[in-house]
Amino acid sequence: MSGRRVLDSGQHIEIDRISCDAYGTCAELLPEGIDLDEWGYPVIAPGNVPAHLLDIAKRAVDNCPVLALRLVKVTAAKGAEPAPPPPVLAARRPETRPDRMEGTPPWPPRPANRPAKRGPEQRRRS
Amino acid sequence: MTARLLSGPSTAAGAESLAGHRARLGDLPGRTDRAHLIGMIDAAGLLGRGGAGFPVGRKWASVAGRAKGDAVVLANGAEGEPLAHKDRVLMASRPHLVLDGLELAAEAVGARRTVLYVGSEHVDARIALERALAERAANRTSPLPRVPTMLVTPPVSYIAGEESAAVHFVNIGDPRPTTVPPRPYEKGVGGRPTLVQNVESLAHVALIARYGADWYREAGRAETCGTALVTVTGGARPGVLEIDLGTTVGELAEWAGVSASVGSPVLLGGYFGTIISGAEAWRQPLDPVLLRRAGAAFGAGVVAFLGDEACGVTTTARIMDYMAGSSAAQCGPCVFGLRAIADASARIATGQPRQDDLSRLRGWSQSITGRGACRMPDGTTALLASSLRVYDADWTSHQHHRRCAMRRGARVGA
Ligand SMILES: Cc1cc2nc3c(=O)[nH]c(=O)nc-3n(C[C@H](O)[C@H](O)[C@H](O)COP(=O)(O)O)c2cc1C
Ligand code: SF4
Ligand code: SF4
Repeated sequence: MSGRRVLDSGQHIEIDRISCDAYGTCAELLPEGIDLDEWGYPVIAPGNVPAHLLDIAKRAVDNCPVLALRLVKVTAAKGAEPAPPPPVLAARRPETRPDRMEGTPPWPPRPANRPAKRGPEQRRRS
Repeated sequence: MTARLLSGPSTAAGAESLAGHRARLGDLPGRTDRAHLIGMIDAAGLLGRGGAGFPVGRKWASVAGRAKGDAVVLANGAEGEPLAHKDRVLMASRPHLVLDGLELAAEAVGARRTVLYVGSEHVDARIALERALAERAANRTSPLPRVPTMLVTPPVSYIAGEESAAVHFVNIGDPRPTTVPPRPYEKGVGGRPTLVQNVESLAHVALIARYGADWYREAGRAETCGTALVTVTGGARPGVLEIDLGTTVGELAEWAGVSASVGSPVLLGGYFGTIISGAEAWRQPLDPVLLRRAGAAFGAGVVAFLGDEACGVTTTARIMDYMAGSSAAQCGPCVFGLRAIADASARIATGQPRQDDLSRLRGWSQSITGRGACRMPDGTTALLASSLRVYDADWTSHQHHRRCAMRRGARVGA
């Protein structure tokens, strides 16, 4: 990773897993933060979207054919707010669900010459 | 082993009558201040018994806070976990404890309706609860206001007990999870804030309201106070019993007449749980906090002794197939991921592995986690990961040599 400081947009991407139909548009628009698994379903990098990618993230959200993505502002948890992580499972999965494949680095800085399309090996198998 | 929920007549004697229940435990204390009741549950430190172990008092406070007197309480007695029996035994033998807890919850969160959500296969439980409701209607003694109760019986399925699936089924007859948020405590049955609480959790509340938080905290031998119902299988005397939290797995093995040598693996929690090696297991206290620290979970209170005869690979493959078949088939990573896991496990177990099956299983045990609308993929991959760890040598031997160590090195498959 480069030592360049990445500014945080204060928002993260949430996905409605039931609606998502593996169209893959999101990963094409935002390869820095969304990868596709072997069945074509998105794996989203954990954490907030870096500020310099927020516009593109908005495009990815707007272009999902089934509107399965949302950008959510991360607010400081209010004291009385309930339910989140059931303690027994919390160790395994935080409620905010940073979707992430083992080894997926979080949000790399955007390369200057970003490939317009993903390489064939990353494309969805059909 | 302290009996609280199960003190009184034997569970084999069937449902305790309202008269018997009142003679033994007395009536509920009169109308108490809502905040007082919630404070008492909080002070007791009661954790939910449906699997996730969330603090009951905190959940009540959040529902009460947003309900404005029009909440719904849903008592979750779906018990779809194939290895668990404790909820159905509780409902069938102590229906009035569950109904007391339901009334108290309704009072505390400000509910105008309650739902008894009972898996349709639990026939004895359903009959006991129906009869208990009739007894209470005919002989109203509770000091709490009457709140209508609807009995709903979802079809047999692992997923129907998940809280958003339960709400979905009550609302429109579809027992599949929905996308959260909104979670049931925000928008549940009829769009109202809904408290979904396991039936055992509610039964504990019925006793805490009578005897207080300090009394509740007298039981328990490790970090977490109280007693819990557990389902023990795999020994000569399988069954449901009530233990002090903190009782060790070894003590349960003795109780259940487990003949396997000390050191055979144990499945804790249920199909969403963890397999731990016998070497660790025997001294492991059954305590939610200590289990979490050990990388396991109390889950639905299942303690299944797997024995040293059974092939762990085959056992795991069977569970994976069950889970893949139980997916509500809505989310891609769950539908395709669990099926892929089940198929690869079955190939390895039957001696027909593809070259990379085991390494792909290892990858999927990490990569599918957290990627469904509900925790189905998470629970399943957690169990798989623990099996890959505990039965490492067996998985490897099946994959690379097609040999099953359990059958004295016999080749598996054709
Ligand atoms: C797939 C799945 C199945 C579940 N099945 C049950 C069940 O049968 N009974 C139950 O009480 N909770 C079940 N739960 C947990 C519920 O979602 C919920 O957390 C619980 O009923 C809350 O009660 P508690 O806090 O008293 O444990 C299940 C969860 C999942 C993810
Ligand atoms: S664009 Fe939408 S439907 Fe397609 S993979 Fe991304 S989230 Fe899923
Ligand atoms: S994760 Fe699986 S079981 Fe849960 S809602 Fe999605 S498809 Fe259904």
